[in-house]
Amino acid sequence: MINPLDLSGQTILVTGASSGIGRETARLISQLGAHVVVAGRNEERLTETVRSLDGEGHRAELFDLSSVDEIPSWLKRISASFGPLHGLVHSAGTIKLRPLRALNSQTVEDLMSINVNAAIGLAKGFCQKNVHAPSGSIVFLSSVTGLTGQAGLAAYAASKGAIVALTRALAVELAAEGIRVNCVAPGLVTTEMGQGQLGLLTPEQGAALEAMHLLGFGCARDVSNAIAFLLAETARWITGTVLVVDGGYTAH
Amino acid sequence: MERNEFLLSLDELLEFEPGTITGSETLDSLDGWNSLAVISFMALVDERFGVSLQPRQIAASTTVSDLVRLLGDRISAEIPN
Repeated sequence: MINPLDLSGQTILVTGASSGIGRETARLISQLGAHVVVAGRNEERLTETVRSLDGEGHRAELFDLSSVDEIPSWLKRISASFGPLHGLVHSAGTIKLRPLRALNSQTVEDLMSINVNAAIGLAKGFCQKNVHAPSGSIVFLSSVTGLTGQAGLAAYAASKGAIVALTRALAVELAAEGIRVNCVAPGLVTTEMGQGQLGLLTPEQGAALEAMHLLGFGCARDVSNAIAFLLAETARWITGTVLVVDGGYTAH
Repeated sequence: MERNEFLLSLDELLEFEPGTITGSETLDSLDGWNSLAVISFMALVDERFGVSLQPRQIAASTTVSDLVRLLGDRISAEIPN
């Protein structure tokens, strides 16, 4: 029997690992054999994530990604003590439902800072000498809102659309260094964040949104499966792509 | 925040002239009070009052005064000068 998603011996950094898709990704890739460095801001929840991982050799890293300029030196420290990184998953992110009239520049900046600016900082840190293994895989989190319009989410959509463009640009720039760059674009997933978004809608609006997802709302594992695929040997020949994981949301 | 200030911010949200909304209006009668306006209203009270309202609380409101009541103590009564 073979396991095409085998990640044994690989060290992978996952941001936003204290909840949702990040936490589920950390769990899954630990079950696939990876050593996981889980990063987040909440120590208690990070420790909880580490405790739920399979196998040994994982580590929690407390870090605030809004300090974008410090990300490269942070990644240097991690690889110095933990060995070179084979993969990076930027799952930390934030969402704000704000119709245009209620949108202010501070909200836009907050969204861009963690969703986009931190992603660039992480890629910059990852591609430093000795930080990454001879072949590396970066996976960003985009969203179906970065691909199709949805009212009330213009700023969030702009940040997730930026991730698609960033993915393609970096795929071209980093290919020669052996680094693949891809992103996943999930539909609504019933994580804490997804539930929070649903809570802002009336039951009728929630039902309409669910109907748009032909296969119903997704769960965190649905997305982490796709992330693992992009990290593993299975995606050796894949870079610069957007893997849509949305239960059919964008099919119509 | 005083009630009047709250009404003015609602005017602003719906792009009415300041002083248009007096409180007794039914929400249905307000031009532009639609689902996006409701979400904008939720953002407004979240940002200015730190209050998280549920969509069903707003759906259960009939008049502007009902919205004022949702914010309870956070809006002081009109202060007679």
